Amino acid sequence: MDLFLQALINGVMLGGFYAAMMLGFSVIWGVMGVINLAHGEMIMVGAYLSWVLNENYGMDPFVSLLIVMPIMFVIGYVLQLILINRVVNRPILASLLVTFGLSIAVANLAKLVFSADPRLTDTALSGAWSVGGVTFPVTKTAIMGVALIIMSSLYLFLQSTRTGKSIRAAAQNKQAARIVGIDINKIYALTFGICIAITGAAGALISPTQAVFPFMGTPLTLRAFTITALAGLGSIPGALMGGVVLGIVESMIGVYVPGIGTNLAIIASFVLLVVILITRPQGLFGGLRPHEEPAQI
Amino acid sequence: MTEPLLDGRGVTKRYGGLVAVNNVDFQVFPKEIVGLIGPNGSGKTTLFDCLSRVQSIDEGQVMFKGTDITRKKPHQVAHLGMARTFQVIRVYRKLTILENMKVSRQWRGEQPWNQLRPSHRDIETRAHELIEFLKLEHLTHENAGTLSGGQRRLLELGMALMPDPELVLLDEAASGVNPTLVNEIKDRIRELNRDHGKTFLVVEHDMRFISDLCNRVYVLNYGQKLAEGTPTEVMEDEAVIEAYFGT
Amino acid sequence: MRRLPRTPRLVLLVLLIAGLATMPLIPDWFPDQSWVTNSRLFSFTQMFMLITLASNWNLTGGFAGYVDFGHAVFFGIGAYGTGILMNHGWSFWPAMGAGAVFALVFALVIGWPTLRLKGPYFAIAMLGTFVAVREIVRVSKGLTGGGVGLTLPPYLNRPLFYWITLALAVVVVFIMWWIRRSEFGATLIAIREDEVGAEMRGINTTVNKITAFAIGAFSTGIVGGLWAYQNTFIDPDVVFFPSRTVELVMMSMLGGLGTVAGPVLGAATIYWMRDVVWANFADYHLMVEGFLLILIVLYTPEGIMGRLGDKSATSLQKVWKRNGKVPEDAVDEAVEQVTP
Repeated sequence: MDLFLQALINGVMLGGFYAAMMLGFSVIWGVMGVINLAHGEMIMVGAYLSWVLNENYGMDPFVSLLIVMPIMFVIGYVLQLILINRVVNRPILASLLVTFGLSIAVANLAKLVFSADPRLTDTALSGAWSVGGVTFPVTKTAIMGVALIIMSSLYLFLQSTRTGKSIRAAAQNKQAARIVGIDINKIYALTFGICIAITGAAGALISPTQAVFPFMGTPLTLRAFTITALAGLGSIPGALMGGVVLGIVESMIGVYVPGIGTNLAIIASFVLLVVILITRPQGLFGGLRPHEEPAQI
Repeated sequence: MTEPLLDGRGVTKRYGGLVAVNNVDFQVFPKEIVGLIGPNGSGKTTLFDCLSRVQSIDEGQVMFKGTDITRKKPHQVAHLGMARTFQVIRVYRKLTILENMKVSRQWRGEQPWNQLRPSHRDIETRAHELIEFLKLEHLTHENAGTLSGGQRRLLELGMALMPDPELVLLDEAASGVNPTLVNEIKDRIRELNRDHGKTFLVVEHDMRFISDLCNRVYVLNYGQKLAEGTPTEVMEDEAVIEAYFGT
Repeated sequence: MRRLPRTPRLVLLVLLIAGLATMPLIPDWFPDQSWVTNSRLFSFTQMFMLITLASNWNLTGGFAGYVDFGHAVFFGIGAYGTGILMNHGWSFWPAMGAGAVFALVFALVIGWPTLRLKGPYFAIAMLGTFVAVREIVRVSKGLTGGGVGLTLPPYLNRPLFYWITLALAVVVVFIMWWIRRSEFGATLIAIREDEVGAEMRGINTTVNKITAFAIGAFSTGIVGGLWAYQNTFIDPDVVFFPSRTVELVMMSMLGGLGTVAGPVLGAATIYWMRDVVWANFADYHLMVEGFLLILIVLYTPEGIMGRLGDKSATSLQKVWKRNGKVPEDAVDEAVEQVTP
């Protein structure tokens, strides 16, 4: 029972983090209709940034967030203006291909700059708390905590601020938003920038616990796709739920299926996704609403 | 009393809270040309979608040639002998007119792997005949995407006729077509009806088209059957006038 | 650009193929020449393989419009099938055949669920499949040698590989040409242009899609087997090389999706770019390929053949815009709601 509880707790913590990690992907898709296959690479870039700061200035990854997020925001903003903007109004395949190309380019660029050796950052937070027989590693708890802060901030931002509302308006109906004077291009650039900042932050957060290497992106992108398809586009609570579900599934598989590496756990969840897409094309939690296109013909 | 070719009882279709087609009864007898009219949003195209099984039917039953097609898949209905055209033209733009026609043939009973052999003589002949019938021979090898709107309408009509269907559902076959071509289309329909015994169910906004062609007309409004009768009867019906023009 | 009339084109084509076929014989006829070397033959072999791969991908991706981001998985299965069997004592030809059959069977199994998914979902599902199979290969140490890889019996006969791959390329392109002219080709294109409409007109889209998918998988598996034998060594990362699957997409797009000559041109172009231009910049070439894909999508979506006026060339963007939807709907498609 203890094992189960531990696996469950691990899964929830993992899930909270996953949710934050793929939030950017989901919002970009939901607001701009762009499927960003370079999502994993953005995580990678954030992780490397954190590593560079850690390696050269001894900065703790949690602290580096303050620097990584603004840098990633700028990167996202610029990327949107020069590249993504051109595929926003085109059918979804264009964005898939362009971001696919981008992911290959960025991953190999990273390989050139950093070499393929895996990196890890050091953090001052270490050790674990023990509560009632369940262990809470400090680092992972902190990661989840920050992830939750980021998610709630985004939620509040979208709900309460003027810009946030503009973003939501643009997502619902581009034409109407334009008519009431919202500058769509600026909104898109802003959205993209924010999402990339969040994604990069996730990378920085992950750097103490997982090896950072140029090709770490693809499984992460697949995971983002899985959670989004499960939970619905652009929905923050949905992302949280979807992320937790995925986290728990992966955690359970890792504990109860012996000898399975993380890679296979990812694959298991991916298979889960394909099965769900086929049997319930409208997604779980009614994420993809009926009037939206189902995933199937 | 002949059996109806198409027999719909209590057909109902809902989209969320909206009832698009509400308990509609109708019949189409062999060799008739029946019209289906109504103001915008009255559910005409939805009814067509239900009949051709593109949309599911929530309540009611539809019989075609004595077979219950309420739950059948679209291609099964096509195999049974029902064809349709669409409000927004659907042709295969990157295929030539000839290819468009050949690919629309009667597929029932044909194995997909036979497709690698050269076409059956009869398919080629029939395709060419229909193309001539539609007066499009000079464009036989042009991509459908290069055709004008009216020509595409004709092509779509041809594609619907290719499988030699007994019943043809025409959804706004005259819209976007110049008046001369509209007359052509009317003539073709009459010919097909008179000489080849084909039955038509026609959705149209153009009243002249309806009154020239149809023996019977149904009127829909807000998804319900409002009136039924000959074109003249229906156009003089007060309820119909009110529906179209308001009080 | 005006196309050359039929007969001279055919003659040119035959001459080209004959010329290519005699290339390995040149060192015997002209002992002093230095242009035809073993390494050059090897290069050309790679190009023929690329042409075959691109043409196969184009069958599912270009003709039927099902863009497959993970098609290289069949290459991998063919490679590993051949490798594993040869390590169990099988000789090359049966092993390669079996490898291709494995790829075919896998295509039937995976095609059944995935070909129901629409555009982006299908693409990503296949990408996931590619990744999944790679990892499964990696952990199945007993069977596949895991991350360490497998070695195949060495067989160094460049001319023979050259001829086999040339023959394969010619056969496959011919088959694609035949399909395009046949009704199967028209049916696939109809499915691409308007799948829902095709269904309604009585076409059994499932069977047709799976058939195309399976054919593409089989020949891709064959190339995988050949490649494995020629390379003598396979491991999960070298076989399931991520950029391989990108290349397939790129070559067909560059050349012109949905045409017969497109993948050939695209493959040849990419190949020459690599070999000639980037030989000196080995480290950069993948990165550049990524950028290249972006440029192609943005600026020449219909590819070279499209530019040359081939009527069949299409861009996938047009395909996905129309697939399953009546054109008007595509125009007022609203972006999904961001819900709090």
